[in-house]
Amino acid sequence: MSTEVLADDQALRVARRRRVLDAMEVDDLDALLLGREANARYVAGAQRLWTAGTRPFGPGCVLVRATGGIHLVSTWDEGIPEDIPHNHLFGITWNPGNLLAWLKGIEGLEGARRVGTDSLTPRFAQWLAKILPSAELVDAEPALQGARRIKTPEELGAIRSSIGVAQDALAAARSEIAPGVSERHLAAVFMEAMARRGVTTPATQRVAWISSATHRHHQHATSAAGDEDLVAIDAGVVAAGYTGEVGRTWPASPASAGSAIKDLYLQAEELWSRLLGACRPGASCRELLSAYATAGHAPPPFPIANGLGLGFDTPVVTGQLPSTAEHERLDPGMVLALTAYVVGEDGRAVFRKEAVHVAASGPEVLTSAPCWEG
Amino acid sequence: MTAVAVLEEPRLDRMQRDRMTRLHKAMSDRGVGALVLLGNSNVSYATGTSWPLADQGRANVERPVAVVTAEDENPYLFTPLPELLDPDLDLPEDHVHGPVYLEFDEGAESFVRALVELVPGDRGIAIDELPGSMRRALQRVLPAVTPVSADDVIDPAKIIKTPDELGFLRRTLEITERAIAPVQAALAPGEHQTELTAQFLRAAFELGADSNILDSIWQVMPARLSDAPWTTHGGIACPLITTERILREGDVLWVDTSVSCRGFASDFGRTWIVGTEPTARQQDQFRTWREMMDAVLSVTRAGATGADLTRAARAIGRSDRRPWMEHFYLAHGLGVDAAEAPLIGTDLGDSYDERQVLAAGMVLVLEPLVWDDGAGGYRAEEVIAVTDDGYLSLTDYPYDPYVD
Repeated sequence: MSTEVLADDQALRVARRRRVLDAMEVDDLDALLLGREANARYVAGAQRLWTAGTRPFGPGCVLVRATGGIHLVSTWDEGIPEDIPHNHLFGITWNPGNLLAWLKGIEGLEGARRVGTDSLTPRFAQWLAKILPSAELVDAEPALQGARRIKTPEELGAIRSSIGVAQDALAAARSEIAPGVSERHLAAVFMEAMARRGVTTPATQRVAWISSATHRHHQHATSAAGDEDLVAIDAGVVAAGYTGEVGRTWPASPASAGSAIKDLYLQAEELWSRLLGACRPGASCRELLSAYATAGHAPPPFPIANGLGLGFDTPVVTGQLPSTAEHERLDPGMVLALTAYVVGEDGRAVFRKEAVHVAASGPEVLTSAPCWEG
Repeated sequence: MTAVAVLEEPRLDRMQRDRMTRLHKAMSDRGVGALVLLGNSNVSYATGTSWPLADQGRANVERPVAVVTAEDENPYLFTPLPELLDPDLDLPEDHVHGPVYLEFDEGAESFVRALVELVPGDRGIAIDELPGSMRRALQRVLPAVTPVSADDVIDPAKIIKTPDELGFLRRTLEITERAIAPVQAALAPGEHQTELTAQFLRAAFELGADSNILDSIWQVMPARLSDAPWTTHGGIACPLITTERILREGDVLWVDTSVSCRGFASDFGRTWIVGTEPTARQQDQFRTWREMMDAVLSVTRAGATGADLTRAARAIGRSDRRPWMEHFYLAHGLGVDAAEAPLIGTDLGDSYDERQVLAAGMVLVLEPLVWDDGAGGYRAEEVIAVTDDGYLSLTDYPYDPYVD
């Protein structure tokens, strides 16, 4: 992080825009109306204010293929790349009429035949149909996901930097793990360490969770970890827009960790080896789900793999989407967060998340935080 | 008369029963058979669940989804985090389902098929977001149904707060203020802006915040607009993003933070000065701001219009510009969202503000500002609940280093 609000570097912007324009050509999209910040940032390279959680859809970034023009909702030019001129900026508005009038006036949008949006609401579906009567409104997410799934060298560098911050903050939280520690305290220590490294935006705020043999249900965030409990840390940060994630689990009291715990870690290690082995260029994502089946574990409700980039990219692999995994292939240049999750009979769980670059020569593990080894 | 109370011991189960009554009425008024909610804060409103919020890029994929049907007194929740369900929430077990991944055709289709099981026939569906995958799945499974906007159902329900909601909201505001007080006390030249965030987040999470919901703002204000970034309206650029900028003695900071706890968002806004006391001119800015805030508060009560508030602020303002952030508002609501209805003083215009009538139980964050070109300005936020004859303050954070 710097002492100024900077737009994304030019090399990053140029390469990403090229991919989006190519994807628009393939999908025959004349214009994009984007509401999701990750898509807007991918296209525009502008840094706008971070807020947590989902946001209602509203088109805050427009790309017209014919002109290459990028138009943004931003009241000021700080954080906006110099190739987006002032007359392409439109101030924050609460008035749909004003927003629609701005969109209508954007050069090249009125004549567009096929206009892609990255989401919609019932209202925007009607409003956009009204101001673009001759356009077909189509889903642009496939084109955008296609553009975003393979990382440019500059993106890989950004993800590596983000992982560095996540690992430092993870280490700070880890140093607090002891019997009696609470999830709340670990989250607090993580957030502080992240911000002291100059990054103030987390990727996830469910930083820590305690699994216990005696309390099968989740305990309150203030509950103290018992000697026999396991403490998982899901460390995710967003630095310069890019997500870095790493996850680890430690016994609250390593000295009290018995054979059941040690066995659970061995199982997690075995599952992790299988997952990494399945991470070959050209492999089907089904193989990641198969790794769980072969190791004898049910996949968790959360994704066992997801692309890392500006937020979650494709592929997203979960037990709920078996057919999607079947048809999704790992390609060189993807970066994945890959999760091994093993739950013992008593309910205690070992969670391990690594970031992996699918290189042409095979998987390259980008995370290096130490694991507990018993 | 509507008594407005802020409960010391708010209860989640009672709060949700009240919310369901409101949602069902709004659904009935609009002929909606099923309300399908994808947005994080809408899900939180309808189900009472709260969870630590993720970055938007992750939150779009890993999101809980809620369904409210006209017949059922309980909502259905599809969540990747069932273990985070608050035990105080008496949601029946058969109403809690595993996660759905609506961003993918496979996930959207299995969700819409589950929806048809819950809401047989072609009852009207209201929804708050339509990703492409959901549009395709609805088209395939329910080709005769055109979903309408869920905003028309949920916005009228949300706008008036119950005593339980006010109780939870005040707790979140208290956490925020208790977390920020030591940050202000330690404020000194040489600190990085990001260090203020570090201290604030540490304290807020220790005190029970579930999420930070806004990258905290500690904006160093210039003395004059000509030294500030270009803006579309020629006015003040704010909020500008926090960096590792080093603070210097005399820097004037406009502070704005927001965290959430049990599904309620806080809002905090003050002006601080680094390492020194305000000058006479700065103190004078505060005095004008205080006068303006008092003028707005003096007309705030149930039955007043939004335009009554904007007129009161403008009568005190020193310049031709409206005395609040021109791209925002003089006042906004606060609850499950950090900025929700009513929005007063926006670019929706004066006639819109004339039509907005305040009602008892609404929460307002009032945020007028004073700009004194050449010497910066003062901005702070007050959070109040509207009552029949005035308002209740929900916060009492001091204005130091300015003398009130």
